[in-house]
Amino acid sequence: MAYAYLFKYIIIGDTGVGKSCLLLQFTDKRFQPVHDLTIGVEFGARMITIDGKQIKLQIWDTAGQESFRSITRSYYRGAAGALLVYDITRRDTFNHLTTWLEDARQHSNSNMVIMLIGNKSDLESRREVKKEEGEAFAREHGLIFMETSAKTASNVEEAFINTAKEIYEKIQEGVFDINNEANGIKIGPQHPTTNSTLSSSQGSHQAGGGCC
Amino acid sequence: MLHCPRIAGGGCFLGGSLKFENHCYDALITSFYLCHPLIFRACLSVRYMYHVLTKNTTVTDHNRNLLVETIRSITEILIWGDQNDSSVFDFFLEKNMFAFFLNILRQKSGRYVCVQLLQTLNILFENISHETSLYYLLSNNHVNSIIVHKFDFSDEEIMAYYISFLKTLSLKLNNHTVHFFYNEHTNDFALYTEAIKFFNHPESMVRIAVRTITLNVYKGELDNQHMLHYIRDKTAVPYFSNLVWFIGSHVIELDKCVQTDEEHKNRGKLSDLVAEHLDHLHYLNDILIINCEFLNDVLTDHLLNRLFLPLYVYSLVSPETSEERKINPQVSLYLLSQVFLIIHYQPLVNALADVIFNGDLSVFTPPTDASAGGVRRFVKPPESLERSLELSRHRGRKRTQKRPNYKNLGEEEDEERAGTARGGGSSKGSRASGETAEEIEMVVMEKCKVSELTEQNITDEEKTAAATRTHTQRSRPFLDMVYSALDCADDDYHALFVLCLLYAVSHSKGINCDLLERLQLPVPDQERSSYSLVLVERLIRVMNQAAQPDGKVRLATLELSCLLLKQSVLSGSHCIIKDVHLACLEVRFPGEEIFLDMFEDEYRSMTNKPLNVEYLMMDASILLLPCGDVEKTRRAIRVFFMLRSLSLQLQGEPETQLPLTRPEDLIKTDDVLDLNNSDLIACMVVSKDGGQAQRFLAVDVYQMSLVEPETKRLGWGVVKFAGLLQDMQVSGVEDDSRALNIVIHKPSSNPHAKPLPILQANFIFADHIRCIIAKQRLAKGRIQARRMKMQRIAALLDLPVQPSATEVLGFGQTANASPSGLPFRFYEQSRRAPNDPTANRSVFASVDKVPGFAVAHCVSQHSPSPLSSPSPPSSGSGSTGRCDSVTASTISAQTGPFSFSLLPSIDDGTFLEHTPPSSSGGESEGGGAGVTVVSSTPSTPVSAPALAPSLTPASQPTISLLTDSSADALSVESLTLLPPADSPHLHPCTGHVGVAPSLQRRLSVPVCTRQKTLSTGGGRETSWSRRWPDSREAQSTFGSLCARGGAACFLARMRQDAQPAKFFTHPD
Repeated sequence: MAYAYLFKYIIIGDTGVGKSCLLLQFTDKRFQPVHDLTIGVEFGARMITIDGKQIKLQIWDTAGQESFRSITRSYYRGAAGALLVYDITRRDTFNHLTTWLEDARQHSNSNMVIMLIGNKSDLESRREVKKEEGEAFAREHGLIFMETSAKTASNVEEAFINTAKEIYEKIQEGVFDINNEANGIKIGPQHPTTNSTLSSSQGSHQAGGGCC
Repeated sequence: MLHCPRIAGGGCFLGGSLKFENHCYDALITSFYLCHPLIFRACLSVRYMYHVLTKNTTVTDHNRNLLVETIRSITEILIWGDQNDSSVFDFFLEKNMFAFFLNILRQKSGRYVCVQLLQTLNILFENISHETSLYYLLSNNHVNSIIVHKFDFSDEEIMAYYISFLKTLSLKLNNHTVHFFYNEHTNDFALYTEAIKFFNHPESMVRIAVRTITLNVYKGELDNQHMLHYIRDKTAVPYFSNLVWFIGSHVIELDKCVQTDEEHKNRGKLSDLVAEHLDHLHYLNDILIINCEFLNDVLTDHLLNRLFLPLYVYSLVSPETSEERKINPQVSLYLLSQVFLIIHYQPLVNALADVIFNGDLSVFTPPTDASAGGVRRFVKPPESLERSLELSRHRGRKRTQKRPNYKNLGEEEDEERAGTARGGGSSKGSRASGETAEEIEMVVMEKCKVSELTEQNITDEEKTAAATRTHTQRSRPFLDMVYSALDCADDDYHALFVLCLLYAVSHSKGINCDLLERLQLPVPDQERSSYSLVLVERLIRVMNQAAQPDGKVRLATLELSCLLLKQSVLSGSHCIIKDVHLACLEVRFPGEEIFLDMFEDEYRSMTNKPLNVEYLMMDASILLLPCGDVEKTRRAIRVFFMLRSLSLQLQGEPETQLPLTRPEDLIKTDDVLDLNNSDLIACMVVSKDGGQAQRFLAVDVYQMSLVEPETKRLGWGVVKFAGLLQDMQVSGVEDDSRALNIVIHKPSSNPHAKPLPILQANFIFADHIRCIIAKQRLAKGRIQARRMKMQRIAALLDLPVQPSATEVLGFGQTANASPSGLPFRFYEQSRRAPNDPTANRSVFASVDKVPGFAVAHCVSQHSPSPLSSPSPPSSGSGSTGRCDSVTASTISAQTGPFSFSLLPSIDDGTFLEHTPPSSSGGESEGGGAGVTVVSSTPSTPVSAPALAPSLTPASQPTISLLTDSSADALSVESLTLLPPADSPHLHPCTGHVGVAPSLQRRLSVPVCTRQKTLSTGGGRETSWSRRWPDSREAQSTFGSLCARGGAACFLARMRQDAQPAKFFTHPD
């Protein structure tokens, strides 16, 4: 499918914070969480529309590969956006953010857009990290912030799409060198004509017909 | 359907199929109601899915969506079954459902179905948690059939899903599951062999996934001897030889990129190539540290003999004109540093280091007997990886169908060439991509051909002598090259890389200490009693060159020199440096006035962010030819700090003057102060969020504080807030003449964050008069605070203190005081509990990849940083503040010289004996003896005849950290040294007349102090370079801007100029 740009994302954060669930929730809505079934996936792609342009998001989860230094550093470098996820019900996952962020800044290209995500916002009763704390952390380190729930899909769309918007703005400002694919941005095979009728920010392009 | 809305939600797996075959479904619905248990539901639905699959064995446009949805639902049911009831799996297995999947795949059903199927498999394997469920899925070899299925890999989405699928599978590898993937009898290991075929895929994420898969395989196979043999015998050589060639080709491209660079246009590409090289090294290291001896032998052999030695090391000495030289020596030094920093595998790095430090020219004589043990050369593997894998596997079998993928392009050619190569000739010619396939041939050196020094129990003196002797007598072309590249007379381009290399080698865990000790290379944290004179003197020479006013030595070079020097001469807690060498180090600061913020900022970032050599070597920009500007003041400040810290450490003295602002000296919240003699102004503080409080405003030397009366003691107050005056902005409030708006920012050097205000409030006073008084007091206090610090700096640097600064609040008596005499704080009598967490700074204080350019570049994008924003945007006193800062910054922009006194030896005999002939030219050496008599120079400015009259230096006291008192340093009988204007080499000296009896009595001559003032802005100099503005341009720019009242713009501009990328570039 033709796209104007392809943005590569990575998702980082401690294990168990719901990274792969967020990813699946975003890329394939048909997997509604049922029977307390937590389903995740480590790779996904989806088309969205920003400013009338088709933009393909390709999201790579780095879970399970932390033991290899070469792998994490390469992942960081190849991405235009990163979702840094913690679990609002687990204080330690919030405390580890600085380490993650330091890693990300060190290995990524300097323009990478990082979004901070406090996941599992549906579990309000077990909350250990206040929303204000997340906001403060984000402000202090120049990140965008959002609380999401992969389970109820709350804010999941917004998290991915807002990150894309920020990247898109940076492209417009000329900050990103889009001819350099190592930045995690690829120009589409052809520049599509502005297709205003397609508002596919609402559905997975592979979602096909007849689902949900 | 409508009568059971909850079912669709509760049993979502059914949801999709509902729409298609309602007639079948109705019966099921009934069952659901009757038999509520989920298990039963799941079983039923899986049955239903099966039904759909059997009815739709052929994929058509009509049933495509149905099939996709069915596959998806099956996944969901299976995952549910894994977590709840395995009977679902029985059914799945019994009906051989994977066969349906394969059948669908093989119909060329198009990418839509393929992608869905691959994603489904991904989800399935990722979410299965029980081993037994996994075994179910893996049995019958269907997964392997899917792995070898010829997908359309030219489709990037299919490629991505496919490789993710393989990655997911590789994460499931363990002792048990491996048997499902590796077939001992047929020698098949599709997961691995299919994956490595994409090792050089153009898409980086795919390459990363391939690396992950291989690492997972290597890690998981340790116990499986059969598989180990298979991997080593059938795949290791093809894979590693191709990998090594791939890396080498990148290196050649990298070199080309450096050589063809103009105006740093290649920077983006270069940094990719450098990062790519690092990725490769980290990957190789990750393989090596899995520590699978079997593999490591093969890998080490390939790396050493087909990459590092022939391509990297050989390039160090091969003549420039030689066709065999593939890359330039500086690139080679840079890459070798990276190798040593990252890879620590002993057999590999030790052998490599041994060649560099002990190898000799005999390795370059043409091979007489090529069969004697393999030829070391960098050469393209005769076959492509895919082909050699096929050959080893399908030997005797019919060739399999080709995959339609990007690699097919030009494959025929490759095969032909491979054929001829096997036919007996060496492969020649070049590929379309421009990679040369010429060969570098070298004779094999015996692996450990080390010059075995016979001495076993030699004294250190002997060792030293031996080191010197062998250095001069034995031919060690590589080592010679390394040492001679330390010369910074023209620039420090090579020197920086050599320093990195030496640092990396000396810190490598994989290198034998014997090797280092034999050469007296500094081994960190080791007791020693001698050090390499050759090295130390070269290091000191680098430092001296760095301290030249127009020094070409970059900060990183200087810092590394300091590091290596410390490593060399600090043995445990004591310092073994010879006096004669210590004497060569002197620290002095050039300018008269320093921009305060920069001074503190630089100190902060230096102490917060010590040099990380590994990060330094990740920065591609150091490969580009140095050109352009460094912000000179920052550089000068940093040079001062580094040398001061080095000098103090070598003498074992603690730092007592820095940092200027010590947290423990500041007033803090909840301190109780005696305010009996202080002027207090009552006010109402209205914070931004609406909170109100009645407070008294007090202005201290460095801080303003808001206090509340202490209830128990009259005239005492409790501090409710305290903030640094230097970080404060005061402005009026538009419609209230009694109010002031006050913002104090937190001093922070985090360039990613906007300045964080610690106070942002309106202060409402009793009346207009009190408001004006408060405003003036704050503004004066601000100027005063900044001046006070400037004085402390001046005292620290031993510069003349400006008395004017002290008049404001009556601190006149401190004008001539020593730095310690200046008050840290005003309220002497008040004290509070010393519970200072001084080290609680953010880890992101500076994200500079390299130190030195600080944070200035971000400032232009946001508002001015609090540290540097000099202007309270108010009228009257505010403008005074602005002028204050600008003045300081501008003056400091034109940095004067650093002077290093190059001391003659006191201990003539030893010095002479230990000074080896220097290798670099241009020194005033008296031939082989290496003796120069340096005439004792009178200690007057006249000693610098080369200087223009306008630059005639003013006589200034010198901070000599060696002296006990400054009075001594000024002693006339002291001897001086070489004028800094002279070539800054370390001169071996002897036979001085009137050598001072003690090192304490010395004086260096300050030279070349530019005495320009702001007024010279009009009569500006014309000969500055337009492309790379230096301080002089800054100065003249300032002049013109000032004329237009654009001082603030100028400041912003100065900061803008300090781009991070330019840190590694040279001044001028």
